[in-house]
This record gives sequence, C-alpha cells and structure tokens, in this order.
Amino acid sequence: MKQFLNIIIKLGSIDRRYIFILVGLSVLIPLIRPIDIPIRATSQSQDVFNALDALTPNSKVLVSFEYGPSTKPEIHPMSMGILRKLFSDGHKVYATALWPDGIFMSVEALNQTEEEFSLEYGVDYVNLGFRPGNEAVVKGVAADIRTLYTSDTRGNHIDDISMMDGINNINDFDFVFSLSAGYPGTKEWVQYACDPHDIPMSTGCTSIQVTEVLPYVEAGQVKGILAGMPGAAEFEKLVNIPGEATGMMAAQSFAHLVIVAFIIFGNITYFLKRRSDKKNLGEK
Amino acid sequence: MLMKRQIPLLIVIVVGLITLFGHFIANEGVQNFVDNDSTQWYDIIASFAIFLGGLNLLKLQLLKIYKKQKNWQYSILAVVGFFFAITVGFFFRGANTISVTGINAEKVEQAAEMIAEETGESTSSILSSISDPSADYELQKIYKTHGGAEDFSQKLEAYGETQIEPIEWGAHLSATRGETGSLFNWMFVYIFTPLSATMFALLAFFVASASYRAFRIRNFEATLLLVAGIILMLGRVPIGEYIPAWLIGVFFVMGLGALLAPFIKNRKITLGIVAIGSLIFLIIGFTNGWNPAIPGFFHLPVMQEWIFQVPTTAGARAIMIGIGLGIVGTSFRIIIGIERSFLGEQ
Repeated sequence: MKQFLNIIIKLGSIDRRYIFILVGLSVLIPLIRPIDIPIRATSQSQDVFNALDALTPNSKVLVSFEYGPSTKPEIHPMSMGILRKLFSDGHKVYATALWPDGIFMSVEALNQTEEEFSLEYGVDYVNLGFRPGNEAVVKGVAADIRTLYTSDTRGNHIDDISMMDGINNINDFDFVFSLSAGYPGTKEWVQYACDPHDIPMSTGCTSIQVTEVLPYVEAGQVKGILAGMPGAAEFEKLVNIPGEATGMMAAQSFAHLVIVAFIIFGNITYFLKRRSDKKNLGEK
Repeated sequence: MLMKRQIPLLIVIVVGLITLFGHFIANEGVQNFVDNDSTQWYDIIASFAIFLGGLNLLKLQLLKIYKKQKNWQYSILAVVGFFFAITVGFFFRGANTISVTGINAEKVEQAAEMIAEETGESTSSILSSISDPSADYELQKIYKTHGGAEDFSQKLEAYGETQIEPIEWGAHLSATRGETGSLFNWMFVYIFTPLSATMFALLAFFVASASYRAFRIRNFEATLLLVAGIILMLGRVPIGEYIPAWLIGVFFVMGLGALLAPFIKNRKITLGIVAIGSLIFLIIGFTNGWNPAIPGFFHLPVMQEWIFQVPTTAGARAIMIGIGLGIVGTSFRIIIGIERSFLGEQ
C-alpha cells in the first residue's frame, strides 16, 4: 500500500511533457475519428438566434470582425453561421473590422458565403474593411460612416456602391453583430454606438471574454451571446447547418475532461504528499 | 517648457472639457465637434501612432542586433519580417489579374479548358462567362508577378484580347481570386496565420500543465474557485450533458461533508458520514428509480449557466463599476491638470 501511495505521489511531479502528450492526444483523436455528440443550445445562444430570426427580410445588418488568426478556430465558425443565417434570410450585410486582421477574416468568410449563396458584391453585401482608431471608429460609424469609410476593401468609392445608398450612420442599420475576441470589440459597440442610438445588437465572442460581456447581455443591451466554440456549435445546431464548430465539440469535450482529470489527480497527490510529509515530520 | 508642458496641458484641458460638456450642451457646433471632428482627429492621430509604433519596433530590434543582446538572432527575423511586410504593403503589390474579351466562337471551348486548367475553376462556368464575345471576363486567379501574368496572357492571346491589370493599391492587401491571393495575402495566410494560431494553441497545453500543478484545494476560496472552474469546464461542453445527476448528487453529499468537517474533530467520522450518505443516496435512487424530473441544479450545464448569469455577472458588474469610477477620477485629474504622467512627468 505504501509503495502504491509513493508511486501516486511521484506521479504528482510528473514531467509536464507527458501532460502535453495526453492533452494533445485528447484533442487529436476525436478530430481524426469524429464522435457525434448531441448539442443542446443554451438560452443565450437561443436569444441570438431569436434576435436574428425576428429581423424582417432585407434588413441592413452591420457585422463587425474583431478577431484574428489566433482566435479564428473559436470565432470563425460563428462568423460562418451568422453569415449563413443572414444571407439565407435575405438580409444585407455590411462588414467592418476594428482589428487589422479582421479584414482577412471577413474576406475569407464572405468569399465562402458568396459562393454558397451566389451573392453579388455591392448588392447583397459590402466589405468596408479596417480603420485604425478603436472606439473612435465605432463612434465614427455611429456619427457619420461616409466620412470614416470613403472606400471599401476592393477600392470602390462608397458613393458607387448601390447598397450604401441611404447609409449615413448607425441609425440606418437594423442590427449590429460583433464577432469579437477582445479590445476593441463588443463592449465598444455597446457603449459608443448601439446603446446610445438604441440599435439592437448581438455578439459572438471568445470564451475568455464572456464574463466581461455578460453584464450587457443580462441588462438586455446585447441580445444573447455566442460564447466560444460551444456557442458556435449551438448556433450551427439552431440554424441546422452543421459546420466546423460542431465537429470540434468532441475534441474540446475530451480536452476539458482530461484537464479536469488532471486537476483531480493533482489534488489527490497533493493531499497524499502533505500527509506523508506530516508523518515524516512526526517521526523525526 | 511652454511648448513641452503648458501648451500640451492646455490642449488636453480644453479638448477634455469640450468633449465632456458636449454631452450636456445642445449646441450644434459643440455636438459636431464631439461626434465628428474629435473622432476624426483621433483616427488621424491613431494612423500616425502606427507609424511611430513601427519605427519604435524597428529601433528596438536594430539596437538589440547591434548590441548583440540575449536572443538577438530572433531580432533579425523580426526586422526581415518588418521590411517584407512594408515592401509588399507599400511598394510591391504582387497582385495582377488578367481579363479576356472577344474570344472567337469557334475557339471558346478550347479557351475555357485552358483557363480552367490554369485557375482550377469548372469549364462549364467559364464557358458561360466567355461565350459572349463582347463580355469582359476576369480570370479567377491573382498573379504575384507581372511576368507570371504576362506568360499566361500571351498563351491566351491566341483566343482573344487580353489585358493585365494590377489590383488597386490598398485593395491589394486582402485581394483574393479563387484559391489565390496577393503577395500580402499570401504572407498573412501562410506565415502570420499559422504562427499566430500556434502561439495561441500552445495555451491549452500550458493551461493543462498549470492547472495540474497549481489548482490545489489549499483553503476555502481556492476550493470554491476549483469547484466553479470544474463545473464551467464540463458544463460548457456537450459532454457535460452526459454526466449523470446521481453523480452530481454524490458530489453534493461530499460538499455537505466538507461543510461539516470543521465541526467534527474525528476525520474518520466525517469520512463515514460522507461514505454512508453517498451509499444510502445511491441505493435509494437505483432501487426506487431516479425522479425523471430531477431539479435543474443536478445538471452541470444548468449549474454552469447559473454561475455565468448570477455570480459571474455580479462580479463583472462590480469590476466594471470600479473601473468606471476609476476612469471618472483619472479623467477629472487630467482635465484639471493634476495628472501629468502623459507628459512624461511623475
């Protein structure tokens, strides 16, 4: 028994590379051999879906891309789900980016949806691109978008884009959706544009960012929230178009299980070591 | 001193006061300044700040190389990357497109096949686009060099008129056609994206390793954090749905034991209460069958949602209010000239 306990205590100080291997395997195996795990939508994801579903066809929706390659696995599936929902419902999409990387994310997402829905640039969607200035850009969109954006990402003058007719500021949009991985992002859209001008908005953000956006969701200033990759998978389920996030849920589930197992095992070894140290001290 | 201290201070005080009072004064000029002019000023200053940031980065990295400080070799990569990005962003577009028009009706199919082979598009979609000789068709491929575009353009000239056009400055950054893109886009997709994604992905491994070593039940607060963390980690993912309610019930019994522990001196008695309690709970449940309408708090996803909606929101609100009050205080200190750290003063 004592030997067994000693082995467990020794395992407590296991080389971290073994932990890395186990975490890596827990992610890799479900990705290589996908396992179908049923997904249940949370009330917050359902709120996002309901808010978008309530829009009348041909609504003007501003979608802001505030993420980059590092958070792409979490946010990009949301972007795809949101764009698919908007285009299948016949809405007009106006893309902006508060992050310089966001422009590449928006181009990729919009190119893919353009193919899927046979969309026409300038008629069904427009990509206004990135402007530096963080919250000042949000304030600029709220006050006068035409001064801020004189051309789009393709070099077209704003006056030559038909779907920009009648778009002067945030009041001309029916809905704002922020795909956010940090600052500037959802908070800035709430504080400087949507809340002061009473424009409904919703968000999809990284899991780590959820806590700082939740107060706005609970206060009703943001209509629901897609929280991290599980949020993206839940939205894919709600729109009934399985995408990347659904496929990754098994990998994330197993990775979380492995981490929790490590935490529990780490605590067991901690208690055993503490007890054994106390005993040794008593014997001395 | 006047230029370095008084004038900047005056600018900050005046602009700060106008922006603050702009929200309360119904004057068109002031409102216009707050809503439009000030934000445009900010945009312009932010654009110049990017240049300053770039120059500062360059200075630091070059100094590191010059002084051969620790890991100076990495700085070479940083400087090379910096100049490569500047070159493909400002001096070399690396984005040329070919347009073709007036293709002879007899040669349309041959031309379509040739274009399909080059761009990877389907022959039928190209055929429908180029069968009208008056139509101007842009190939769904971006050529990084003018020479590359010229090579194929010359081959295509046997079928119709071709024209090579570079994509406009600015638009070239994120330009894509089909599977191809500009040189800047190539850099972003094939260099920046994998590097950035790799850095972020490593976090999962460090989180796992750090949780294993540091997430210990040392005191009440640490226990609370650990329990909440586990509920969130399992409740947020679909597998949380599969954790049976009876197992959560056993954890509740254990939690009860932990609460009773300080009042019972003999640990064996505590352990006995927990073990017997759990056993009774399980025997009753499994023999009589579990209630099909088990309360929500026996489900991890429901517990997770509650943690998010109640304690997390409350904590986040408290932090936000604190930050808000801090911003008000600091802004007031700046406006009245007490806070001068932005001038480089202590």
